[in-house]
Amino acid sequence: MRKLFLLVAILLNSNLVLQAQYAGYTAVADLNAFKSKFAAASQNTHSIKSDFVQEKNLSLLSDKIVSKGKFWFKKENSVRMEYTTPFQYLMIINGTNVYIRDNQKENKISTRSNKLFQQINKVMVDCVKGGALDSKDFSSRVFQSGTAYLAELTPVDKNLKTLFSTINMIIDKKDFSVTRIEMHEPSGDNTIIQFHNRELNTNIPDALFVIR
Amino acid sequence: MRFLLYVSILIGASACSSAYKHAQQTSLPSDCITSLQPHFSRALYSTQVDVVGKHLSGLLIIKAMPDSSTRLLFANEAGFKFFDFGFKGKEFTVYHIIDQMNRKAVIKTLRKDFALLLMQPVVPYKSHGMLLEGENYHVFSEGKDHYYYITDADCSRIVRMERGSKRKKVSTIFSTADDRNIPDSIRIQHHNFDFTITLKRLQDVVE
Repeated sequence: MRKLFLLVAILLNSNLVLQAQYAGYTAVADLNAFKSKFAAASQNTHSIKSDFVQEKNLSLLSDKIVSKGKFWFKKENSVRMEYTTPFQYLMIINGTNVYIRDNQKENKISTRSNKLFQQINKVMVDCVKGGALDSKDFSSRVFQSGTAYLAELTPVDKNLKTLFSTINMIIDKKDFSVTRIEMHEPSGDNTIIQFHNRELNTNIPDALFVIR
Repeated sequence: MRFLLYVSILIGASACSSAYKHAQQTSLPSDCITSLQPHFSRALYSTQVDVVGKHLSGLLIIKAMPDSSTRLLFANEAGFKFFDFGFKGKEFTVYHIIDQMNRKAVIKTLRKDFALLLMQPVVPYKSHGMLLEGENYHVFSEGKDHYYYITDADCSRIVRMERGSKRKKVSTIFSTADDRNIPDSIRIQHHNFDFTITLKRLQDVVE
């Protein structure tokens, strides 16, 4: 009897911890139903055009670096992020190739030859496309509020574990698009990318993703 | 980022011939250099690193902490952290560094370069003065390492900073500043191998 009481207490307690983890969110009971709706919406999203605000929060320094820019995604695997404030920086991901241009120079990287870049590249594209929920590199839990879902991804892969403790995607309930990505690091620092002025399925020229 | 490995191989290569051979010992006012020390309460720099023909860019934040230490954190533009160093008096702490840069020689070189920039070796009344080609050299020694702060004749500004040994010059820092306490642009140039760090201050808004 005492053991049963203890078990119930542990289960209740763990449920409370789960519920309290994200204020305003409760756990989604039917994960498969959510996943199939999200997958269907992702299937119908061919392009995304958006502004973004990136916040790098440095916990130990009690500081943050805020940058802004424009974001484009086009199926299958093309991403363009153009930082405009307070610095200029362009990153294009096109399949397995990455192009970077900073203030002074440009650089082309094949992610095939760089495992770290390959993994970061895959995380980025998978988060935007919605494939991260089905990735073998992560275990996932999903929570919901009145207006949004919160998909919490925990790395299973050894290398990813050194980079991220969790990655949270905030997904709009109306159109199942990702409005915010939170990348939490083991050190307590995090990088948050918030998408604004999102336009889905507009015509985006392929030229934006060309790596010359 | 494989090229970061090259740094550890190349550091320690041959240096220039004697740079301070013709310097004359002289007496310089000891309060001159302390009055020119920078005060990095918080500064963010767009950063370019060029090493043996390879290029890396990112953001360097320099921040004075409440415990009187100074932190230097370097991350790429997307937020990926390369290193996080702390200076407090003579103490140096590596809070974080990626595996590709985690080499003793790399850390030592960066520590000494940033120590020169932060004027960490500057201790009142511990310098000696030198005169070379019309410029005043305020010299601080830490073992075999010599840190040279070169000022104009009336001590209104630091013309450049150098570090090396008693004879050889390893690196030079050039900086410009509107506000002399926080430089706007900084260039750290190595003389014994192809390694340059260029910093340009960004005026970001912190809420």
